[in-house]
Amino acid sequence: MFWRLLCKLLRGSGERLAVAILALVSCAMVVSALLNLEFDIERKLTQEFRTLGANLLISPRNGQITSSSPAELMSESEVSAAIQSVKENNVVAAAPFLYIVGSAQNTAAVIAGTNLEALPKLEPAWRIEGQWKPAPAQRTACLVGRNVAQQLKLTVGNALNLTYLRKNRRLNVAGIIDAGGAEDNQVFVGLPEAQYLAGLPGQISFAQLSVSGTTTSISYYAARLASALPAYEVKPIRQITEAEGDLLSRIRLLIVSMIVLISVLTALCVLGTMAALAMERRQDVGLMKALGGSIGQIVTLFMAEVGVLGAAGGFIGAILGWGLSRWMGQRVFGQAISPRWEILPVTTILMVAIALAGALPLRLLGKVKPAIIFREQ
Amino acid sequence: MRTLVQVDDLRKEFGKVRALAGVSFKVDAGEWIAIMGPSGSGKTTLINILGGLDTPTSGQAIVDGVDVARLDESGLSRFRAQKIGFIFQQFHLVPYLTAVENVMLAQYFHSTTDEKEAQVALERVGLSDRIEHLPGALSGGEQQRVAVARALINHPKLILADEPTGNLDEANEETVIQLFRELHNEGHTILMVTHDPAIGNLADRRIEFAHGRLVKVTPSNDASQNAYR
Repeated sequence: MFWRLLCKLLRGSGERLAVAILALVSCAMVVSALLNLEFDIERKLTQEFRTLGANLLISPRNGQITSSSPAELMSESEVSAAIQSVKENNVVAAAPFLYIVGSAQNTAAVIAGTNLEALPKLEPAWRIEGQWKPAPAQRTACLVGRNVAQQLKLTVGNALNLTYLRKNRRLNVAGIIDAGGAEDNQVFVGLPEAQYLAGLPGQISFAQLSVSGTTTSISYYAARLASALPAYEVKPIRQITEAEGDLLSRIRLLIVSMIVLISVLTALCVLGTMAALAMERRQDVGLMKALGGSIGQIVTLFMAEVGVLGAAGGFIGAILGWGLSRWMGQRVFGQAISPRWEILPVTTILMVAIALAGALPLRLLGKVKPAIIFREQ
Repeated sequence: MRTLVQVDDLRKEFGKVRALAGVSFKVDAGEWIAIMGPSGSGKTTLINILGGLDTPTSGQAIVDGVDVARLDESGLSRFRAQKIGFIFQQFHLVPYLTAVENVMLAQYFHSTTDEKEAQVALERVGLSDRIEHLPGALSGGEQQRVAVARALINHPKLILADEPTGNLDEANEETVIQLFRELHNEGHTILMVTHDPAIGNLADRRIEFAHGRLVKVTPSNDASQNAYR
């Protein structure tokens, strides 16, 4: 009889309850989408931030890192061995760099020796005309910055003569880089080429790494790497990691605030609807009490009704929210946010709680005095 | 005959308004009592207190050995479910429940529901073809008969009827009164508020109220009982 009564109650007040369920579905949809976003935001933001380039730097201790004067140098093999030994899945890319100021076609130019193969992952935001050369071809390929190419009238496939002190190399331009920064004035060659020109075999100026993760996890990885390289300095590039952590915290705060705000507004909407419903049901409650219904039985019945509304609203809204989160992910990050199943029960339970909180006026029906209700009539 | 209802110096005040001013009487099991009097004389207040819908300001109202004035909220609920069958002037059926569900509602609050038994109760009041109808689809007389079936379904010790024919036309009034006669003949104890002297005459005794006081108790005789219609 309980379920029969419940169905009749739900059908009997359909129009008024439709307002409440609409509010609950809308709330659940937004909450579900925001929770999906919240669960995925770290991965998405990390991906976004990785396009900004390296966020970890290994440099000589107290060494001045400038592109023109490699004041102190590091051992390439030592650094490479340390990166290999401190295994970390979050390392997106790692590349050593050796900078020299030589000449290209008899014009002064900054020459950066590096692992050309790692550059696309290390600097995904750079645009290239031509192609990143695969490793086996590094010895004869180079990449030139946009300004260098413009100045020397170079196009992809041209030959480029590089000279440093008395040594020179003739390389093919594999691609022209548009980095939007100082790199547009540089020539990127394979590390062995730069080491040959500089006469510094096995030496590098510094190494850059792109590591995904939170500020804490990046700092932790940096600390592990530092202990493996006690002679060098390993430090996160603060502007990037801190901005990443800060933005993540702000977005999370925004998401939580919005969930709280929407939940409160929905509870108020349900409260208004239920207050009106409570007024309508005073006579029914008076009658139920006259028939021997206890406060517990009657309030349980109405609370169950509200609970069913909350569960239905939460379930429907959570599913709609998945669609909304996919759309939001597509719009904001350019790729859909994958739905997480655990959000379905979380949203449903949250909506039941909101509905029950909004059903406070129905609890007051327990205080209805049948004699007063009948007397009013 | 066993005393089922005993009222001693019962008083009820609503602020400065005195609804009952020291009422005392007894009702034996199986008696049909008509409570009569002008509007505002305290009839409905008395019924409400005896049915556990209201509490007295002072005095005793003992029904089947239970002093209603001493019961708490939960005790009153159990008392109403187990000992009382209400029949109201306004019928008070739940509009979104069918006739049989309205009867089952009383079963639900009493103990467990039995749809078959509820159907039999409706058949008894002549509504076998109206079992699945909503109250809105029933006439006033039919609604009141559903209310009678609902009042009887838990086999209450005491039937309290407040103007049960007050909203009915003549034909329906006759049908409902006939039901009360049958109930009385079966040994049910009935306290019925009525304004109609003809209906009052059908009862074993008429208790008349004025200004919250019991002013007259009149036993009916066979002649007056047969005088109805």
